[in-house]
Amino acid sequence: MARYLTVRALLGLIAISGVVLLTFVLQFLVPGDPARRVAGPRADEVVLQTVRANLHLDDPVTTQLATYVVRTAQGDLGVSYQRRRPVIDMLLERLPATLLLAGAGLVIEIVLGSLVGVWDGLRRRRSPALAAMNILLLSIPTYTLGFLLLYVFGYKLDLLPLSGGPGLPELVLPALTLGLFGVPYYASVVAESIRVAASSPYARTAVAKGLTPRQVMRGHLLRNCLSPVITLAGLDIAIYVSGVIFVESVFGWPGIGLLAQESFVNLDRPVLMGTVILGAVVVIGFNLVADVVRAYVDPRTRTDPA
Amino acid sequence: MSDLAIVDVGVSYGRFVAVRDVTLAVPAGTTLALVGESGSGKSSLAHAIARLLPPGTGLTGSVQVGGRELASLRGRDLRDVRGRVVSYLAQDAMAALNPVMRVGRQVGEVFARHQGLSRRESAGRAGDLLRRVGIQAPDLVARKFPHELSGGMRQRVMIAIALALAPEVLVADEPTTALDVTVQAEILALVRALQAERGFAIVWITHDMGVVAEIADDVAVMYGGRIVEQGPVRDVFAAPAHPYTRALIEAAREQPDTAAKARFLTIVGQPPAGELPSGCSFHPRCPVAIDRCSTERPGSRLIGEGRHAACHLAG
Repeated sequence: MARYLTVRALLGLIAISGVVLLTFVLQFLVPGDPARRVAGPRADEVVLQTVRANLHLDDPVTTQLATYVVRTAQGDLGVSYQRRRPVIDMLLERLPATLLLAGAGLVIEIVLGSLVGVWDGLRRRRSPALAAMNILLLSIPTYTLGFLLLYVFGYKLDLLPLSGGPGLPELVLPALTLGLFGVPYYASVVAESIRVAASSPYARTAVAKGLTPRQVMRGHLLRNCLSPVITLAGLDIAIYVSGVIFVESVFGWPGIGLLAQESFVNLDRPVLMGTVILGAVVVIGFNLVADVVRAYVDPRTRTDPA
Repeated sequence: MSDLAIVDVGVSYGRFVAVRDVTLAVPAGTTLALVGESGSGKSSLAHAIARLLPPGTGLTGSVQVGGRELASLRGRDLRDVRGRVVSYLAQDAMAALNPVMRVGRQVGEVFARHQGLSRRESAGRAGDLLRRVGIQAPDLVARKFPHELSGGMRQRVMIAIALALAPEVLVADEPTTALDVTVQAEILALVRALQAERGFAIVWITHDMGVVAEIADDVAVMYGGRIVEQGPVRDVFAAPAHPYTRALIEAAREQPDTAAKARFLTIVGQPPAGELPSGCSFHPRCPVAIDRCSTERPGSRLIGEGRHAACHLAG
């Protein structure tokens, strides 16, 4: 396991390096002049020149790349064009809010998805009502669902704040939007796992021991459903992170996603690149964690692949 | 220990009838081998005896252990009987053990459930039990997961689970089919030794005539959901009365070197699935069938000391 993790961590580092390079290239594809953004629409050419020089925008691309790579490797993500603050500080400042939102959404989708999945998996036939709900949830894009929830609970019923954060009342709607979107996936995976487990010979052995249905469920079926759930969470994380960015923008939740959106609009390249790199680190790190947890839950995956 | 008596047992899955009117007796301390092709209904009958048929399956007739009726038990009463009065030994131990639970706990669970022992006490009992089924270093093995054990070890663990509470009846559903021959011999010897010591009755499902000769006192041959012949193994093997039994025994005796001519001596045709043929179920495949066989179903008749056969030409 230790060797496997080392290999995985090294691969992750290579992937992050790739992301760093790709982000650097991509920033030049974003239209607009960062210097103009900083200096304002009425600034004259002299001011613009000064700003460009200050931001090192006039350096040759190779020099810019070299500086960027060396700095990033040292953990220095540069300084925001707009706020003149270290990007790393801005990211760390926003991170707790994003972790709170992402965590809440993940708990909602896994807990709700698993409950619905277990309920469906124990039925002899799939529930048609559940199938309809799945299709409905799957076909609604995240932001539509977000606006729908906002309209109903924030505006019409006036139960919850329309935007802002990072407090608990503001958390409910964005977390729900993120979570509900994932429920059909987890519900399907859990239902199928329960079905397979319930008709397995080891379930029959458990019944033959005289265990109660509850003991069979808790001791034997549920644990065998954990592994696919963790696998799904690992696979889903990239899409989930992009969902977090969307949802933060819709609900004005002051996290990394909103920061990414703001920096994109402001052509604040260091900040934008910082958020992308952080996203990559989170996705790769989460996958590593998912691997470790799965190995803990399912002993069959513990052996090192040769 | 008590005798097992099966009277007029039938098993049906919806409209499909898998087992019809089966009556058998297995005295305590003896072994009955139940043989037949795939689809003959032997596994359904095994699950009926062990009360492990899936929910919604029709079970009729009577399954009695020492005069106590099992067929009508439900809920808590049924759960109390499972593992304590009647135990089940599955075919594929790898699939029949929970892949994510250490084997020691899977054994100990039985004590926790039926005797209310704590986890620690159960673990101690599980260790003793694993030693009894011939596992050296039981404490080490108890901490392993099923995939870390050999096939023979896994089946020993299954035997430990099945016999943990000294049940009156053991239903063994081809437990040695997945094992290689030497391991199979070890497992058969182990079960025989435990039976000699404790005196439980065994119903052993198999399609391997070698295993029948090895372990059973009596044999019952199933075809199309019915018992077509039963009697002491020695007598049935010496002089099979039903053409189907004859064919099974000859197919098993066929030696590889004589197979040059006939390749394999097989029973021509397929066992019936769904609708049974008229008259005797076996008549379409029977080499000696007469006209009467296609119209009139032969009942089971006494044809000798403890021997029954359902064939117009028997006896």
